[in-house]
Amino acid sequence: MEDVLDEVVSSEDLQKFEKVFHEQLHQGKVTHKAQFEYAWCLVRSRYPTDIRKGILLLKELFNSHPDGKRDYLFYLAIGNARIKEYNKALHYVKAFLEIEPANQQVLALERQINKRMEKEGLIGMAVAGGAVLALGGLVGLGIALASKK
Amino acid sequence: MDYVTNLKILVIGESGVGKSSIILAFTTGDYNASFPATIGVDYKCKVMDVNGVKVKLGIWDTAGQERYRTLTSSFYRDAHGAILVYDISEPKTLDKLKEWVDELQVYSTKKNIVCLVVGNKIDKPRAVSRERGQAFAQKHRMLFIESSAKTQEGINLAFEELVQKIIETPGLWETSGPSSNIRITNEERRQQESSCYDYTCSI
Ligand SMILES: Nc1nc2c(ncn2[C@@H]2O[C@H](COP(=O)(O)OP(=O)(O)OP(=O)(O)O)[C@@H](O)[C@H]2O)c(=O)[nH]1
Ligand SMILES: [Mg+2]
Repeated sequence: MEDVLDEVVSSEDLQKFEKVFHEQLHQGKVTHKAQFEYAWCLVRSRYPTDIRKGILLLKELFNSHPDGKRDYLFYLAIGNARIKEYNKALHYVKAFLEIEPANQQVLALERQINKRMEKEGLIGMAVAGGAVLALGGLVGLGIALASKK
Repeated sequence: MDYVTNLKILVIGESGVGKSSIILAFTTGDYNASFPATIGVDYKCKVMDVNGVKVKLGIWDTAGQERYRTLTSSFYRDAHGAILVYDISEPKTLDKLKEWVDELQVYSTKKNIVCLVVGNKIDKPRAVSRERGQAFAQKHRMLFIESSAKTQEGINLAFEELVQKIIETPGLWETSGPSSNIRITNEERRQQESSCYDYTCSI
């Protein structure tokens, strides 16, 4: 499922939903729908600054609109994975799986995130290498976690 | 593995009619009695053999839920085929299919895209006659089939018919690989540039 993390929003879409969002912002009342649509485009942008903005908008929605929780969690995971905040991404995946443990779309996303971490050396080759290496991997992960805070 | 072409297949219709279940049945043969609603867009792929020709299908599974309606239309671009699903035990899902036909007409970019109407859940008590589904498909010049993701009935046939028809449609698809001697019109080039579906797939 490489596509979910690689798929990039078209600039037409981004502009279209950005316009709606800003119009509503101007009028002082942004609907959940408009905010989600804009955030959905932002987290699929090729630019990290857009993605970060999308994540902020999604967090806001997550706290204010319980109905859309699963959608917000899913795209929070995608957004974070796309800016290589893998631990945060996995945190959202885990929160999602607590509600829907068998969701194959989210399980596939989790596998994809793990694969990327492995590829980028964040987990290390620990699995095959036994306890000592595994421990090294964990410590590495701990450091990565600490440095993100 | 080499295949002659990549085809983009879009699956649309109301939430709960069984789009994801049909794709799951087709790609893995599995069935899930409590399949959760799709979030946004999901993607699956499968290599298929049609008359000895290998084609790679990229299947785009869209969320039928209302909140995604305006969002998923951007995935219609460049689709070679579309599967429009309704539930034969829920008449309103066929009534609503007209709206999806309209969306398709507005947002699909290939003018001779092949469309297939699927009446799903034939293992359940029927509330929509086969004739009604067929008439709908005919009216919109689309192929028609009934299926059950639960029993697998009609599932493979649905994809085979669709892909067969796409392959038979001249000018709808190109062979993959170097395409330097294929003439591209300006309109097509513009579409190619604006399309960002750089999907990859490991088999
Ligand atoms: N009896 C029966 N149930 C089915 C069949 N196909 C799907 N279902 C059930 O119908 C429910 C909805 O199926 P989905 O595949 O999630 O529907 P969908 O069209 O993908 O829905 P969205 O993702 O929300 O758009 C699931 O619980 C399936 O188990 C079928 O052929 N027969
Ligand atoms: Mg679905």
